[in-house]
Amino acid sequence: MKLKYSFFPFFIALPLTLSSCCDKQSCQAGKGSDLTSQKATPVAASSDALTIRQSLVRINSTIQVWSASQPWDKSAPKKRRALGALLSGNRVLTTAEMAADATYIELENADNTRIIPAKVTAIDYEANLALLEPDNGDIDSFFEDLVPLSLGSPAKIGDRVDVWQLEDNGMPIVTDAVIQSVDIVSSFANGHFFLTYEAKGSMQSASNSFTVPVIRNGELLGLLSSYDAKDQIIDIIAPEIIHAFISDTADGEYIGFPSLGIAITSTVDPNFRDWLKLSDDVGGLYVTKIRKGSAAQKAGLEKGDVIIEINTKAIGRRGYYSDEQYGRLYWSHLIRGSLKQGDKVELTILRAGEQKTLTATLDRPEEPLVARDTYDQPPLYLIKGGLIFQELTAYYLKAFGKDWQSKAPLNLLDIMMTPEDYEEGRNKIVFLSAVIPTPATTGYERLRNFIADISSLIKAFEQPGPEGLHTIEFAEGPPRTIYLDAKISDFVDTELLKRGIPALSRQ
Amino acid sequence: MFKSLPRFLPIQLASLFFLFIHSANAEPSAGRALAPLETGPNAALPEKTYSSIVRIEVATQVPNYNEPWKAGRFSGGIGTGFLIGPNLFLTNAHVVSNARRLLITMHGAARKHPAKIVFIAHDCDLALLEVDDFTPFMGLHHFQIGGVPKLESQVRVIGYPVGGNRISVTRGVVSRIDFNTYSHSRSDQHLVVQIDAAINPGNSGGPVLQDGKVVGVAFQGLRSADNTGYMIPTPVVRRFLTDIEDGRYDKYVDLGISDFPMFNPAMQKKFGLTPTSPGVLVAAVTPDGPCDGVLQKDDILTAINNNAVDAAGNILIDGEKVNMNEIVERKFSGDQVKLSIIRDGKSMDVVCTLKPFPPSQMYAVQYDVKPRYTTFAGLVLQPLDRNLYSAHNLTNTRVRRLFTHYLDEAIFKERKDIVILTRVLSDPVNTHLSGHVGTAIESINGESVSSLEHAHQLLHPEKLPDFFVIKCEGIERPLVIPGDKAEAASQRTQSSYGITTPANLSH
Repeated sequence: MKLKYSFFPFFIALPLTLSSCCDKQSCQAGKGSDLTSQKATPVAASSDALTIRQSLVRINSTIQVWSASQPWDKSAPKKRRALGALLSGNRVLTTAEMAADATYIELENADNTRIIPAKVTAIDYEANLALLEPDNGDIDSFFEDLVPLSLGSPAKIGDRVDVWQLEDNGMPIVTDAVIQSVDIVSSFANGHFFLTYEAKGSMQSASNSFTVPVIRNGELLGLLSSYDAKDQIIDIIAPEIIHAFISDTADGEYIGFPSLGIAITSTVDPNFRDWLKLSDDVGGLYVTKIRKGSAAQKAGLEKGDVIIEINTKAIGRRGYYSDEQYGRLYWSHLIRGSLKQGDKVELTILRAGEQKTLTATLDRPEEPLVARDTYDQPPLYLIKGGLIFQELTAYYLKAFGKDWQSKAPLNLLDIMMTPEDYEEGRNKIVFLSAVIPTPATTGYERLRNFIADISSLIKAFEQPGPEGLHTIEFAEGPPRTIYLDAKISDFVDTELLKRGIPALSRQ
Repeated sequence: MFKSLPRFLPIQLASLFFLFIHSANAEPSAGRALAPLETGPNAALPEKTYSSIVRIEVATQVPNYNEPWKAGRFSGGIGTGFLIGPNLFLTNAHVVSNARRLLITMHGAARKHPAKIVFIAHDCDLALLEVDDFTPFMGLHHFQIGGVPKLESQVRVIGYPVGGNRISVTRGVVSRIDFNTYSHSRSDQHLVVQIDAAINPGNSGGPVLQDGKVVGVAFQGLRSADNTGYMIPTPVVRRFLTDIEDGRYDKYVDLGISDFPMFNPAMQKKFGLTPTSPGVLVAAVTPDGPCDGVLQKDDILTAINNNAVDAAGNILIDGEKVNMNEIVERKFSGDQVKLSIIRDGKSMDVVCTLKPFPPSQMYAVQYDVKPRYTTFAGLVLQPLDRNLYSAHNLTNTRVRRLFTHYLDEAIFKERKDIVILTRVLSDPVNTHLSGHVGTAIESINGESVSSLEHAHQLLHPEKLPDFFVIKCEGIERPLVIPGDKAEAASQRTQSSYGITTPANLSH
């Protein structure tokens, strides 16, 4: 196939790499949580200025993500500065955004007089929380006059809260905000929704403002995860979520928030309700997908079931229930905010018009076929003779930029959208992501993105077949089968190492 | 030919433009002096000969694939045609596609002669017209069809391009002879000749002359490059004229295979070839295509009708390297071609009987046909084809996949049409269904949908079901329309959305 109509008079571009490689982290950074670009308007320090300065720690982190197209490379480093809340035991709480893909993190005191390197002791990309501890250095003197914050209890709608920031000179800025509503929000990793307070308040820009602590009655209420400057709405990760995160870290092994492993849709449509034989006095959520091996599957939940109650709480047609503390809340908080792994949850369902009760024991679902949240995980790859194989992740597909859903290769997108069609016999998808033109890959330069079967791939490269050839069989064609000369590709591999590719594979 | 289609799809042909003036943008640009005509073998035509090159004025009605019940858009334009026999005017198919009225004007005359299409071939962008009354054209010169001009030889383009009303003559040299896409159908590739004569909108259908004979029909240009005009060379014109001799145009035939170049040394070794061996790899054979059962995957195709095929799939004809399909291009339905192959190391000859392959029309732009559709309770169902794909923003991965793999995965065997829910016209019965728009209909009341007619029958059964349950591909939650409310909803949506014809099941 020739790219016949894409040429220009003076320049013919035949990119080897992804055409529009967008850095996920930099996209995230642009969504409004970084306030440093706004004009600073200092406010007078409050009477407890000292407390504020003693309980806040500046966090400077250097973030480096892996290149999706050249998986052996890291992309250019980016700096991000935030404020962390000091907790007892020399622990510093911040958002996962500050720690994900970080190559170096340091803590700095309010006066900029002391700096100490830090390490991540627990991180939850889904809930957007991270716990840092000093790594080495003079720990005692760094923390000597600092005062840890205690964790606060849940607030109510209408409560006033303080957002604490620091100026460059170390002076505190306190912003008064009022909690207006409570909702389930996804603040970092896509598709994970957690209890979030939405408060109204006019924030100013200050240094280290990427994420900042929110205080109520002198206790840490939550962490600011994003600020909408236009509507002056502050999103605050709720104390329940922070409590659950902190207590999960207590034994040194972080597990994470549990999940049922289902996808659902509303039952608002009256015709759909009639067909499901739902009476007007029940709400209900229609189950559309159940993840393989999930808590829901083990509990016996089936596609097409209608969940009408979770732990005796009635679930409405759009999925909301009445929460004693907050009023109408989305059902997922009943699982992901209120319970932990191993807890039992009672699901009342309607199946073919008949009511049943199922008990699910909550756990963490297995890694999906196409991994979604691959922060801090370098992409897995294998180079042979110039063929670059990678393991498919959502990160790879999203690296195609804003329009990744139309620009990324169709066959790979289809796997991401409907993994259940590809799961049989595979745990992972391995595909040919690019071809470095080498003597071994002559004629293969334009091949892309065919799904290889992982076992055939490993087998092919362990030992060459007859006539000294590697055989690579793809799950899709054409062509379905290609060959590599073992000797030439081994030679090419050593050459590639000489030319700066640090390693031929990462597993 | 449809062989490389699935891989060709992502490439936009937007930069190709027709040399046909649409009345909407027929603003004359700055006047341009006609190039002086030289004397000698390529001398100016006798003045009278110009009379055989006619201006074609077209009024069109372009079907609306967005709202298929509507009359479509009325527009029109100007093109060129020329006399090649008694009452036989040759022009481009795209000049007269979707025409409602055709008027032919002789050079230097005012009278407009009503004309009609006798034969039209959308796959090679050619059409033959006749005027109702040929008397005024009696005695005019009939152009002879010549051969393929040599590279660098001079040619002259005559027609009625933008910039004035009278005939225009430009000249240039033959820059390239190639196998390339015909943008009229967007799915066909045939021989094209590139020339550097200034050819512009309005030149479409005009003759390209050398030594007084027609060596091509000007038909398209390349927007992103300068002085790049394309003409349909005479082998394609001759084939068209031969095809219609039996009173019917039968379309091009094709082998229906995907080939893969034999450049890779390991590949050559595997198949026992040397770097100089002829032969290209048969990477896939289209199911039910002309070569199904004749060729197999992994055959090496070494010659077609005794023309040696090189490793890239090219053959030598008349001293020019051209794609091996050029042999098949000049054949007709029912003709046989001899294919010399190496299968499992053994040389052998097989014979393929060429035949049309209707499923490949999925990828060809359709003209002169009314869009097919059916409506039901506000749902609009249309069969997937190139026109629909261009008209609607079909981004659903499953739909894109069905479109791309319609031939090679033999989807056409089960599904004559891929029926798409293109629209939901709001009505109380369907207000909650917007998420299903743009997906393919999988089944209706449990029965798999194989065609638009089939869907229509299933939606209009003799005995009304309690519910119409419509399952869309990739969406678990079905569409549910109560049987007893469907007819009233159909009536309501038809009257409120102005749908005078609720269904059109045939072209």
